[in-house]
Amino acid sequence: MPRRFASLLTIVFFLGAAPSSEAKPRDPAHAITSQLICPCSCGEVLSGCTCETGKTMQGYVENAIKQGKGKDQIVGALVARYGEVIRGAPKPEGFNLLVWVLPFAATLAGFAIAFLVLRRMVRRRALVSSSQGALAADRGGFPAGRTLESDLEELRARAEAELRRMRE
Amino acid sequence: MSELGRLALLLGFACSIFAVGSIAWGLRTGYSGPLRSGRRAVWTVCALALLAVILLERALLARDMSYRYVAEHTSKDLPLHYAFSALWAGQEGSLLLWLLILSAYGSAFLFAYRKRLDPFYDAVAMVIATVMIFFTGLLTFVSSPFRILATPPPDGMGLNPLLQDPGMMIHPPILYTGYVGFIVPFGFAMAVLLLNRSGTRWIEEVRRWTLFCWGFLGVGILLGARWAYVELGWGGYWGWDPVENASLMPWLVGTGFLHSVMIEQRRGMLKTWNIALIALTFELSIFGTFLTRSGVLTSVHSFAESNIGPWFLSFILISGTAATALILYRKALLESENRMDAMISREGSFLFNNVLFVALTFATFLGTTFPVVSEAVTGTKISVSAPFFNRVNVPIALALLLLTGAGPVLSWKRATASVLKRNFVLPTFMGILATGIAIPFGAEGVYPLVCIFGAAFVVTTIVMEFARGIQARKSAETSALPAQVVHLVKKNKRRYGGYIVHVGIVLLFVGVLGSSVFQKEAHAPLKTGEALHIGPYTLTLRGVTERQKENAILTTAILGVERGGKFVGTEHASKALYSKSQQPMTEVALHWTPAEDLYMILGGVNEDGSASIQAYINPLVSLVWGGGIVMVLGTLIALSDRMRIRREEQVG
Repeated sequence: MPRRFASLLTIVFFLGAAPSSEAKPRDPAHAITSQLICPCSCGEVLSGCTCETGKTMQGYVENAIKQGKGKDQIVGALVARYGEVIRGAPKPEGFNLLVWVLPFAATLAGFAIAFLVLRRMVRRRALVSSSQGALAADRGGFPAGRTLESDLEELRARAEAELRRMRE
Repeated sequence: MSELGRLALLLGFACSIFAVGSIAWGLRTGYSGPLRSGRRAVWTVCALALLAVILLERALLARDMSYRYVAEHTSKDLPLHYAFSALWAGQEGSLLLWLLILSAYGSAFLFAYRKRLDPFYDAVAMVIATVMIFFTGLLTFVSSPFRILATPPPDGMGLNPLLQDPGMMIHPPILYTGYVGFIVPFGFAMAVLLLNRSGTRWIEEVRRWTLFCWGFLGVGILLGARWAYVELGWGGYWGWDPVENASLMPWLVGTGFLHSVMIEQRRGMLKTWNIALIALTFELSIFGTFLTRSGVLTSVHSFAESNIGPWFLSFILISGTAATALILYRKALLESENRMDAMISREGSFLFNNVLFVALTFATFLGTTFPVVSEAVTGTKISVSAPFFNRVNVPIALALLLLTGAGPVLSWKRATASVLKRNFVLPTFMGILATGIAIPFGAEGVYPLVCIFGAAFVVTTIVMEFARGIQARKSAETSALPAQVVHLVKKNKRRYGGYIVHVGIVLLFVGVLGSSVFQKEAHAPLKTGEALHIGPYTLTLRGVTERQKENAILTTAILGVERGGKFVGTEHASKALYSKSQQPMTEVALHWTPAEDLYMILGGVNEDGSASIQAYINPLVSLVWGGGIVMVLGTLIALSDRMRIRREEQVG
């Protein structure tokens, strides 16, 4: 069951990360400008940028679409002019591939570690319970799952509380 | 007066060192005298920080241009209230506000525990005082707000127009109250390790302090989003800007801790993990200040030129290393008292929920810092902005939404097959039903559909939990349903407060979904009398006016708004040109309805006299703000639970 649950989450992640999952763009110009950054110092995503440079760039993209240019052609021309910094997200290649892979790899690794830790804890619990059960049966009376340490902790807390009350 | 300010900070630095030394001595020897002196020194730092703030505020309000800080962040035509808020407009002032809030937390902490004789609380104050040394030192020797100009200019450079908004008067102090507050949980955690204390009583105190600053940070983040929405004029409220990310990261880890702390309280487990989360939350709140103040995000070169960047980085490295070393040194103290009974249990789900919170934080951290790393490695500048975060963070957040529903309905220790069936069948059915209903209304794509499923799933589980609670108390209750709900919440404020926070989260998710996926946009240059159509709305330009408003020239487009042919109001979308910066700023016009916002922007006035009008319809955006309010309500309810316990303790 936990494996199925983990698999389900993994599937959700990767389906969610798939390009096909993106909402349908409102118009072709928005599909391009929402993936670019305004090249001036404002740093806004181009589709929502209200500065002068942003408006000029939005106009450029709209005109280029009217001239029949494709997305790759338009983005390519802008990258050639302003550099990679104009892309809102780096191309998943070379060193920059790391930023795309690491979050999902870390999530999956985290799940794997959590799963292994849980499994180990559950197994230990089973061992402790069975051995304490046997001890309880032998000596009579000491309940399984309850340790001397936890009893001591309880007593210590009670003593501290009483001391505090006496001081106050 | 500037000398007095500098002296106050210098004395604050000395008092912070004294507080740490004195408390450390008291803890070592067991004498109460040094502990008392140390406590008084913490109070004194707070008083000195307050004095420094008052002196700087006095200079800001008087526009005393001999102060470099005043000349850089105000001008003579700046309205008085913005001169007041200029305290947190620049680096030195922000750091001073940090110090004031930090020392206020130290003092409030000592006041709250003034009747406790246990030196443990002094150790917590010592950790807080250690952080005070860093901030007073920084303000005294590196970045003083009391620097004086040899030749004062006749007028200042003015306040950044973006900060001239009422929201900016309250957003930073609230955000800082959240940020800085994480020092108290950190202090508790370090004190436990330093004094080698066992027991779980302190964890309840930590939970309460964490909840308090987590709530403030959440409100601060939402206020920031609201400010971006009405001030930046791009139609949205969250742009995954590094400054936004910096505030989100400690909030995420803090949220993870608020879940996993329940396991420690109930089962005495995950102690190391919880201490690590507390330390991480604190380090991230320092890191957030470092990110926004060091200039590292602009470029690696700006970082090298920054006067505080290297200091912050050193502090993070030293405090992080010290915390890690202490955790490892006291490993035996942090041993779990119990073992996990079963994988499928509430503990198990909280552990996975924690993995997701940390993963989301990691993705945000990586995306925020990656441009600097990439530039350093490849030599090429890149951007990592909203298009990246929307692809990477959204699926992780959706997985968290699903776990938000699953966690509370799994039993502690072990969830049996019958429990799973009883608790999951109806929410799953409701989730599928909601998704099925949403598809004909235009919902498509994996993200929106998972979000709708998750929202319905979570709401159903919460309703079921309330219904079960009411059912269990039915024998004692004969009143009406709303009264029964109130009684139920009162009976276990912490639990039901938490559920109310979850309802707020669901509203937030639905609001984000509606306003991003179903957003409509239209733009056109309009001459007087011409109209722009967007969805059911028609915007008619009635005219353009220009007038002087305080320190800016305001150009306003007057728009008549009709919905379905029926006149619904006149709206004013403006562009303000600030005299000092000559930077045009957008003043958004909002036509609000519970279902959607009509958001109008004046892009500018063109050479032919036409006005560039851009309009958005943002469906369900009010749920984002409403969700925030519900979250605050839930947090207050959960916090009040502890207050009740304290009163009972006092009576007892």
